[in-house]
Amino acid sequence: MTRYVVQRVLSLIPVLIGVTLLVFLIMQLAPGDPVKIMLGPRASEEAVNQLRRDMGLDQPMHIQYLRWLGGVLRGDWGRSIQLKREVLPYLAGRFQNSAYLMVLALSAACLVGVPAGIVSAIRQYSLGDRVAMVLVLVGFSTPVFWLGIILQIVFGLMLGILPVSGIQSPGQTGTLDLILHLILPSATLATGPMAIIARMTRSSMLEVIRQDYIRTARAKGLRERLVISRHGVRNALIPVVTVIGLQAGYLLGGDILVEMVFSYPGIGLAMVTGILARDFPIVQGAILMVASSYVLVNLITDLAYAYIDPRIHYGT
Amino acid sequence: MFPKRTFLAWVVALCLALVSASVAVPLAYAQEPKAGGTIIVGLQAEPVTLDAPQVTDYNTIRAAYNLYDGLLRFKDESTEVEPGLAESWEISEDGLEYTLHLRKGVKFHDGTEFNAEAVKFNIERQIDPNHPYHDTGDFAYAEFTWGAVKQVDVVDEYTVKITLEYVLAPFISHLAMHPAFMVSPQAIKTYGRDISINPVGTGPYRFVSWTPGAEIVLERNPDYWGKPAYVDKLIFRPIIEDQARLTELLAGGINFMVNIPPDDLERLRNDPNFKVVEQTGMHTWWVYFNTLKKPFDDVRVRQALNYAVNKQAIVDNILKGTGVLAINPLPPVVWSYTDEVERYDYNPEKAKQLLAEAGYPNGFSCIFWTPESGSGMQQPVLMSTAIQADLKAVGVDCQIKTFEWGSFLEQGVVPPDKNPEWDLMAFSWIGDNGDPDNHLYILLSGDQWPPNGFNCGYYKNEKVDELLRLGRTTLDRAKRTEIYQQAQKLIVADAPWIWIDHETQIVVMDKRIQNFKLHPTGPFRFADVWIEQ
Repeated sequence: MTRYVVQRVLSLIPVLIGVTLLVFLIMQLAPGDPVKIMLGPRASEEAVNQLRRDMGLDQPMHIQYLRWLGGVLRGDWGRSIQLKREVLPYLAGRFQNSAYLMVLALSAACLVGVPAGIVSAIRQYSLGDRVAMVLVLVGFSTPVFWLGIILQIVFGLMLGILPVSGIQSPGQTGTLDLILHLILPSATLATGPMAIIARMTRSSMLEVIRQDYIRTARAKGLRERLVISRHGVRNALIPVVTVIGLQAGYLLGGDILVEMVFSYPGIGLAMVTGILARDFPIVQGAILMVASSYVLVNLITDLAYAYIDPRIHYGT
Repeated sequence: MFPKRTFLAWVVALCLALVSASVAVPLAYAQEPKAGGTIIVGLQAEPVTLDAPQVTDYNTIRAAYNLYDGLLRFKDESTEVEPGLAESWEISEDGLEYTLHLRKGVKFHDGTEFNAEAVKFNIERQIDPNHPYHDTGDFAYAEFTWGAVKQVDVVDEYTVKITLEYVLAPFISHLAMHPAFMVSPQAIKTYGRDISINPVGTGPYRFVSWTPGAEIVLERNPDYWGKPAYVDKLIFRPIIEDQARLTELLAGGINFMVNIPPDDLERLRNDPNFKVVEQTGMHTWWVYFNTLKKPFDDVRVRQALNYAVNKQAIVDNILKGTGVLAINPLPPVVWSYTDEVERYDYNPEKAKQLLAEAGYPNGFSCIFWTPESGSGMQQPVLMSTAIQADLKAVGVDCQIKTFEWGSFLEQGVVPPDKNPEWDLMAFSWIGDNGDPDNHLYILLSGDQWPPNGFNCGYYKNEKVDELLRLGRTTLDRAKRTEIYQQAQKLIVADAPWIWIDHETQIVVMDKRIQNFKLHPTGPFRFADVWIEQ
C-alpha cells in the first residue's frame, strides 16, 4: 500500500511538469504582451523594457521556464505581473476559498444525489423515480450562469435573505457570514454534479440489485433494508466513488462561471483575470495548483476503492 | 370600481405624497453635513495596487485616490489646478523652474513628516533608475509626468524646486496627477515592493485592510491636515459581473456603483431609492483614417466618410445615452474646447457627392480594424458594425477585423514604415491631465506618429503642428486657448478621423449620499461627501 502510494505520488511529477510546460507554451503563444497590457499604451519604451527585464521576460523561453520551475521547487512562485504581489500566498488564499465552495457543493451533491439515485433504482418507474429523473435532467441541463442569476434575484433581492456576491459582508469576517455567502454559489455549483451522481447511482444500483447474490440474500430471508444497504449500496457505490472523485477534481478547479457570476474570489476567477492580463506567474501557479490537487484527488479516490471494495488491493 | 370616497381619499393621498416629495428634496439639500456612515463602492474589477504612482487604470485610482494628496489638486468638476500639498508656487520667467512652497505640519498616516525631502524622494523614486528605491514599483506614468524634469532640489524644509529640461506648459497639471501624489518615504523603505498593498499617504482617508477578491477598507483620517472627511469608512468591493453588481446595489450590499449596463440605467433613473450622477468624461471614441494610404490621403474622401456615418444613431441606439455626440476630437470638458468648427452631420447624399468629386463615384473597399474590448473602447464591435453599415450605404465596403486588445495595440499602433494593414481603425483616448495638449498634441501632431505618440493615422498638417508646438511651450493660458481653438478648427476641417462620441461617466448611488461630484479625470472624491441619516 505504502509503495503504491509512493509510486503514484512520484508519477505525479512528470504529469505536473507536462501540464506546466503546456500552459507555459500556450501562454507564450497567446497574443498580447503582459508588460504592455499592464503598463498601458502610455508607458514609454524604456519603462516597458525595464519591467520586461525585471520580470525576466527578456530571456529565452526555456530559461524563463526553468527559472520558474526552479523557483516553484524552492517555494518561490514568483510575483504577479499585474497584481504586484507574491503569487503563492495570493493563490493559496484563492485556492482555500475554492475549496470551501467545493466541499460544500460536493457534500450537497452527494447528500442529495446518492439517496435520490438509490431510491429511484429500488422504485424503478415509480412516480418518485420519474420525478427525480426529470429533476436530474433539468439540473444537468441548466446553465450555471443563468441559475446563479436567478438564485441571486430570488434569494438576494426578492426574499432578501442571502448575500448575492463575494465572500464576506463588508467589514465582517465571521464563519456564519462566510457560510451565508457560500450558500448560493455552492447550490448553483452543486446542481451539475448532483445530477451526474444521482444518475450514476441509479444505473449502478439497478445493475447490482439484479445480481444473483442479491437474490440469494433475499432468499435467505434477509430484511430488504439490509439487502439494499449491506449488499446493494456498498457494491453499487464503486463507480459512484469514481464519479465523485472526478467531480471533486473538477470543482477544485473552481467553477469559473459560478465564481464569475458571484464574484467569488476563488482560484477560477484568479485564473481568468490572470489570463486576461497575460499574467504568466498567476496563470501558471494556478494551473499547477489545480492540476496537483486534481491528481491528488484522483489518488485518494483510487485509495478509497480499497476501502469500499475488499476485492481491490494495492500491492503489499 | 372604487367607491367614490375611497377614490377621493386616494387622490388626496397621492397629491400629499407628491407635495411632500417635492418639499423633501430641497429640505434634504438644506441639511447640514453629518459625520458617520459607510460608503460601499462596487467596482468592476479588483484594483491592482494602492501605490498611487504605479496606478494605470480608473478602477485602481478610484480605490487609491482618497488615501493621498497631490502636490497640486484639480478643482472640483474641473481640470484647473488649485493648491494641494503645495500651498503656492512660482514659475520662472523662462518657464523652466517651478518653485513649490509646501504646506507645513502635514503628516503621513504613519506619523512621519511631509516635507521637501519627501517630494524629492517621491519624484526621484519614479524617474531615477539609480535611486535606491526605484525598484519598489513599476511606474508606467513616470515618463509622461516627469519626462521633462531635469532635477529636483530641496531649497529648504518646505520649499522644493523642480527644474525642467525644456518648457512644457502642461507640466503644471502634471503636479495634480496621481504620480504627484505623495507616498511616505519611510513606508516605502519599510515595505519595499509591498508598498503596493500597504499604502501610506497624507489623504483624508487611511488604509485599514485589503482582503484580495473581497474588499479594500479605508477609514477617515482623524488627523487630516485639512477639513476631515464626513463618512467614517469607505469600502471598495470588486464585483465583476454587471448583473451581480446591480443586484447587490438593489439588495443593499453596496450603496455606490460604477458601470451600469445601459439597459438598466433607465430603470435606476426612475427608482426613488437611488440617484444617478453623470458627467461627460475626458474621453473620445473615433476611427482613424490611414492618411498615408489612398484614397484616405484625399480630404474629400475623409469628409465624405464623416458625413456618411450616422453618429447620433450610434449614441442613441448602441450607447443608449452613455455617451454624447462628438463634433471635435477634444472632449468638451477640456478647456479651450470650441464648437465653432465644421460640422459633419449625417448626410449620405453629400457623402456620395464628395466621393464622386474625389473620383470614387462607385465607392471602394477597405479594411477596418477594431478591438473586441479595451480601456475606453465602449462597445467597439457593435459600434464598428454600425459604422460599416453606414459606409456600405454610400458604396464604401469595409471588411471588419477584430482583435484582442493587447495584440490590437501591438499590431495597429505602429510606425509608418511597418505599413499596417488597416485603412480604418477604431480607437479611444481618456485624457490624463485635462490639458488640451494631452489630446491634440499626442493624437494629432505630426511629431507624434508612433512610436512617439498616438497619431496612428499619420495625419500631418504643418500649420497644425506649428500651433500645437507653440501651445505646449506658451505659458499664458489665454494665448494657449486661442492657439488650441485655432488648431481645432484646422483639424476638424481636415477630418483626419471619424469622431463618434465622448463617453459619459455614470455612477448610481443610494439617494442619501450627498454632495458627490464626479471629476473629469475619473477618480471618486469622497472627502466632502456625507450621508443623510
